[in-house]
Amino acid sequence: MSGNPEQERPSGVEAAVEAQHVREEVLERAGTAPAGDPRDHLVFADELVAGYVPEVNILNGCTLTLDEGEVVGIIGPNGAGKSTLIKTIFGLIPVRSGGLSLRGESIANLAAHELVSRGVGYVPQTQNVFPTLTVEENLQMGAYLRPKSFAARFDAVAELFPLLAQRRRQKAGALSGGERQMVAMGRALMMEPSVLLLDEPTAGLSPIYQEEVFQRVKQINATGVSVIMVEQNARRCLQICDRGYVLDQGRNAYTGTGRELLEDPNVVELYLGTLAKSA
Amino acid sequence: MRRRLVTVLLAVITAILVIPAGAVADDQGGETLNGQIRKPETVEGIDITVYQGSEEIGTATTGPDGEWEVEVPGPGAYRVVLDQESVPDEYVVSERPGPEHDEVQVREGQQRTVIFNLARPGEEEGGSSASPSEPAQEAAEEEPAQGEGTPEGVTTAPGVSSATPFGTKVVQLTVAGISFGLVIAISAIGLSLIFGTTRMINFAHGDMVTFGAMMALLFSTGATFNDVPLVVAALIAVVLGALLGIGLERFLWRPLRRRNVALIQMFIVSIGVALILRHLLLVGFGGNRERYDEYQLQEMIRLGPVGVTPRELTIICLSVLVLVAVAAMLQFTRIGKAMRAVADNRDLAESSGIDVDRVTLYVWGLGGGLSALGGVFYGLSQSVYWQMGFHLLLLMFAAVILGGLGTAYGAMVGGLVIGLVAQLSTLWFPSELMNAWALAIMIVVLLVRPQGILGRRERVG
Ligand SMILES: Nc1ncnc2c1ncn2[C@@H]1O[C@H](COP(=O)(O)OP(=O)(O)OP(=O)(O)O)[C@@H](O)[C@H]1O
Ligand SMILES: [Mg+2]
Repeated sequence: MSGNPEQERPSGVEAAVEAQHVREEVLERAGTAPAGDPRDHLVFADELVAGYVPEVNILNGCTLTLDEGEVVGIIGPNGAGKSTLIKTIFGLIPVRSGGLSLRGESIANLAAHELVSRGVGYVPQTQNVFPTLTVEENLQMGAYLRPKSFAARFDAVAELFPLLAQRRRQKAGALSGGERQMVAMGRALMMEPSVLLLDEPTAGLSPIYQEEVFQRVKQINATGVSVIMVEQNARRCLQICDRGYVLDQGRNAYTGTGRELLEDPNVVELYLGTLAKSA
Repeated sequence: MRRRLVTVLLAVITAILVIPAGAVADDQGGETLNGQIRKPETVEGIDITVYQGSEEIGTATTGPDGEWEVEVPGPGAYRVVLDQESVPDEYVVSERPGPEHDEVQVREGQQRTVIFNLARPGEEEGGSSASPSEPAQEAAEEEPAQGEGTPEGVTTAPGVSSATPFGTKVVQLTVAGISFGLVIAISAIGLSLIFGTTRMINFAHGDMVTFGAMMALLFSTGATFNDVPLVVAALIAVVLGALLGIGLERFLWRPLRRRNVALIQMFIVSIGVALILRHLLLVGFGGNRERYDEYQLQEMIRLGPVGVTPRELTIICLSVLVLVAVAAMLQFTRIGKAMRAVADNRDLAESSGIDVDRVTLYVWGLGGGLSALGGVFYGLSQSVYWQMGFHLLLLMFAAVILGGLGTAYGAMVGGLVIGLVAQLSTLWFPSELMNAWALAIMIVVLLVRPQGILGRRERVG
């Protein structure tokens, strides 16, 4: 009984090894993408190299562009460096080499709070609310640099997430995972950013909540906010994204429109199929 | 992560508990007998002689403010006699306590106060017939100079002796515990906020308390800045304490953080800072216990069964005011909310646009100022000496852990609990053990609520 599937298909181990080969070949070819002009893009990350520990690079030359009004998705296996890429763009991790610019101006190694004042919002993957602060205070912290605009922005954000108005006085730490995700996104929207960086906004949420988050992202995008989002739910992400990047071992493996990536047999097999989970 | 920190802290506390045992040895001697003739008013030129057995130890004459002091060779029992010949004609010596004190016990290092009262000739009979025991009782309640001979780190409560009835004692010690707890709370807020915002344990916080107390001493009693009122000196001390905190953060901790120095190394550095600061203060001010000139000899105000000195009452009221002000600041102001946000999640605060370094600088300023104020209060109710803050540090750690690491409100609640437990434990146990009881309660509470009274349980997922 247990041997049956292995006779019909190559064993899991062999498949994984084969997949690894294909991935490495792809990565060989990658990294030669033509570098554009920073001024043509809202966000332009060019051959980024970055890492946490000295001498160990997690990003080995990542390239990413975001244009006005786009939703760009980043997918890839665990540990590929997706969060690291987002954090590097947001200035939380120093850029070791490569270029990073916002509207043509270099933002490499600017502190995060300076990026916030330039209109970039960031929602971390984990620990993305202030647990002992109330929902309202969380949002106030989002508007820290512009306290006067709080009331108006609160109304705007509460329109998107009505729950935030209902739970206004509740401690954020006492909310459910999905509710906290809304607080986190609400907080990042308080400064009326033009670029929103979302790191796995649907992680750990039930399918209904996940769909809700995707809908909200599209809604936010419709108000003119350009979005870069990292997603585990790769299929759904690519469906709503204008363009997608497949990241692997700190490098771009595939780049294309959401539809192109969804239809690319290699991407499907390596990153969207069942094999992607075991790889 | 937090658990492990708590464990490290506990180990440190145990170490501190052991250290003072060795530190008690460097006692200073300097026992004296002293007092002030001020009833019905200060009288100059009264001779007071101290005997041990039949041998005369020394004589003193009261100065213009009625004060006198005789140095004694060491601990022991002395007889103190007021020379009736030297009393001006318009006064007589009160019957109670009379012109002579027998068997006045002086403990190691104690500067013991002895009370003589004068009266106008006609008035005494009237006074004593109305209530014969009253003068004696008042004399007993006139506060002895406490703290002097007590073991290091033990905090004495005024108006409590073995003769006090149990019920009164409970109330009296509760008042003392509240006052002590408030002082701990004020001093510990900074410790907690600094831990919250930077995850660093500031071992030097106790010496920042001493720094404040000694700065107030310098400005109020020092020859250099003579006669600045203590209130003004205390304000100067608070400002200097805040500047000390800001300076340490700006020129030591921030550069260390920038260089990604690990927390455990920062902790060791803070021990170094503590030692340097403590010994600089020792060199600058000497190893003696000192007192502020003002608000020393005070009569107790009776509030029902409770006797409390105006000084103690003022400390309690001011402490409560300060704590309420700090809480309001944290709760309602923009910078206060930012402090709580940074304490909650430093990275997210940075990502929200908060200038985390600036907020940390303010936290150090606030913490430094508050610990200096705590030092002045502690010095007022006990005495000022170079290790005072170091001995308080143990209780501040306990308060911060007990209340919940990293939250200012936790430090407040924890401080009160620790102060009350420490004082009330002396109802049944020797006062040398009061700090041990405070720590025992902390351990018990942690066993039941590992995150502390107001702490937040680390939520997973
Ligand atoms: N704070 C850190 N210090 C050191 N190394 C880190 C740190 N955070 C991540 N890494 C390492 O960087 C690599 C990439 O991590 P990253 O979080 O970017 O992956 P990811 O693509 O976001 O994965 P996931 O899908 O699991 O979120 C991993 O190998 C991880 O071990
Ligand atoms: Mg990630």
